[in-house]
Amino acid sequence: MRKITTAVVGAGRIGTIHANNLIGMPGARVKTVADPYIVPEDWSSRGIVPTLDPADVMEDPEIDAVLICSPTPTHAEFTEQAARAGKHVFCEKPIALDPDRVRTTLEVVAHAGVKLQVGFNRRFDPTFSRLRQAVVDGEIGDVHLVKIVARDPAPPPPEYVRDSGGMFLDMTIHDFDMVRFLSGSEVEEVQAFGAVLVDPTIGEAGDVDTAVVTLKLTNGALAVIENSRQAVFGYDQRIEVFGSRGGIEAFNESPCQVRLRTEAGIRGSNPLYFFLERYQRSFVAELEAFINSIQEDTQPPVTGQDGLIPLLIGVAATRSMRENRPVRVDSPPPPSTEAP
Amino acid sequence: MKPTAVGVVGVGRIGTMHTLNLVRHVPEARVKAVASPRIDPAWADELGIPVATTEADVLLRDPEIEAVVIATPSGRHVEMIRRAARAGKHIFCEKPVAFEEERIEDAIAAAKAAGVQLQVGFNRRFDPSICRLAEAVHAGEVGDLHGLRVINRDPKAPPIDFVRRSGGMFFDFTIHDFDVVRFISGSEIEELYAVGAVLVDPEIGAAGDIDTAVITARLTNGALCVIDNSRQTNYGYDQRFEAFGSKGNLVVDNTQPTTMESYLKNGVFTDKPFPGFVERYQDAFIRELESFITCVRDGSPVKVTAEDALAAVKAAAAAKISALENRPVRLSDAPMTAGRTGP
Repeated sequence: MRKITTAVVGAGRIGTIHANNLIGMPGARVKTVADPYIVPEDWSSRGIVPTLDPADVMEDPEIDAVLICSPTPTHAEFTEQAARAGKHVFCEKPIALDPDRVRTTLEVVAHAGVKLQVGFNRRFDPTFSRLRQAVVDGEIGDVHLVKIVARDPAPPPPEYVRDSGGMFLDMTIHDFDMVRFLSGSEVEEVQAFGAVLVDPTIGEAGDVDTAVVTLKLTNGALAVIENSRQAVFGYDQRIEVFGSRGGIEAFNESPCQVRLRTEAGIRGSNPLYFFLERYQRSFVAELEAFINSIQEDTQPPVTGQDGLIPLLIGVAATRSMRENRPVRVDSPPPPSTEAP
Repeated sequence: MKPTAVGVVGVGRIGTMHTLNLVRHVPEARVKAVASPRIDPAWADELGIPVATTEADVLLRDPEIEAVVIATPSGRHVEMIRRAARAGKHIFCEKPVAFEEERIEDAIAAAKAAGVQLQVGFNRRFDPSICRLAEAVHAGEVGDLHGLRVINRDPKAPPIDFVRRSGGMFFDFTIHDFDVVRFISGSEIEELYAVGAVLVDPEIGAAGDIDTAVITARLTNGALCVIDNSRQTNYGYDQRFEAFGSKGNLVVDNTQPTTMESYLKNGVFTDKPFPGFVERYQDAFIRELESFITCVRDGSPVKVTAEDALAAVKAAAAAKISALENRPVRLSDAPMTAGRTGP
């Protein structure tokens, strides 16, 4: 099988992780990493070309695929540039915070006929894949309820909050995707309660840090998401899917599986600290799937539509919270605009 | 001090259970009489209960009887409370006292006027795990309360006849969850949003009720709360509770008949949860009666009042409106008549 030549645009935290995961992946090689703040020695020592200018990536005919890992406001522009240059694109979520901007990008991608995969990595987590498999295999019958607990270990700094698009677009968007992924259904309507209970500066920045969101799905099932920006015991990521024939539940994962028994009580390990630790394997698996879809010329497992729809749900949830009423989710454009 | 003489009115499923619990597990009580239109005197005799009657009045007229347990069909609870109060008996009444707020207030007034105690059968408040959870929350073990989760799912959908006269899922089933939320949080439900669905049994839908629900709520202390309900799990009675706060999370998981785990080639297996509420809340059912009898004997206030029943009914009424009108409802805005019109 042909090795896919890739480049990474944006060498921050997630870009570095993706680049490292691509190194040594049998079907891929990393040729170039572009970032205005790049430390060249970090990359040149491993045979990767460092550059300050993303144009070096876009203009390089040898590069088959580009990973967009730059700051969110640049995702759409870089995705479009890469697509126009005929390169397949893996773009970190969200493509943009404005759904219209995302739609434009998806049109450009569709017109270019390249593949686009969006970085909803959690779909590739082995535990959550198992949940999905239980639904697909009918182990729990028809889905009645999807319940997601997603709590971060610590709140982000207020300046991050201000540019994040709000908790529903920044954090809950993963959970919206997970509801769609697990249920195999679309979200019709949402109702959200939000609160500022963790950090008043988040409230001052116009956001919330605690929320519960109820979702009605087109197949009749219900879903509920619970979020907090701070679980002091670690990253709290649990999901339950309940159906007509039973339920399946995913628990937190810990760095080690021990139980300490002393006079003070019985103690287990805290959950893995945050998403880099908890979803480590998913970051590898999502890139393997992306590379594979290029090699096999199949549709990527997370499409541009999959990138757009959770955003629409997030917009509806934000409005629901502000107006304190249930809000219907905007219908996405027909899937005919989808890249092959 | 000799045991307190108690009468039980209504010996259906719950009345029978309470009678047996009093006889077997509450030595401070002595069941002197049981009353039911379908009473089996031989059964009473076997349990050493001297009086078995079809007339509740026989029991209410007995001056030796200090306290009554009301386990009649729900529709007769308020009437029985009034009669028992007039007869000067302390009262333990099964939930629901009534579906209508003003009828609960009547019951409260009747008990107050007669100067008798009135405890309501929100049994979960006496479950050791839920008590421990509530104590931990109140003691600040998880700091400020940010979130509560209640999972309440029945093992099998009830018969359709029961559904028709149940008052609807929010009044019949979720009412326990509204109470447990108040109990654990020590706070009131300020506003809620309820969605219902018919996913288990279309007949339940045809009877005008729902069998699946998600209720989210905002409490007066600011915490957010999620309740989910289903009428049918197939894997047992699913009862789980969590309290999340600024200093951590408390989890009460299902309890099982045995703790055995089987590690086999096709997976690791454990017992399913208990099959139903009778088994799951066995301790709670005993402890609520112990507590009631203690309060009757020493005059201390009962642990679950009719005001608690009233608050839970208000939440159920708000949930019903919320689901019907598809909007968040503040409890202060929910009209008092919401419970009156069937499910």
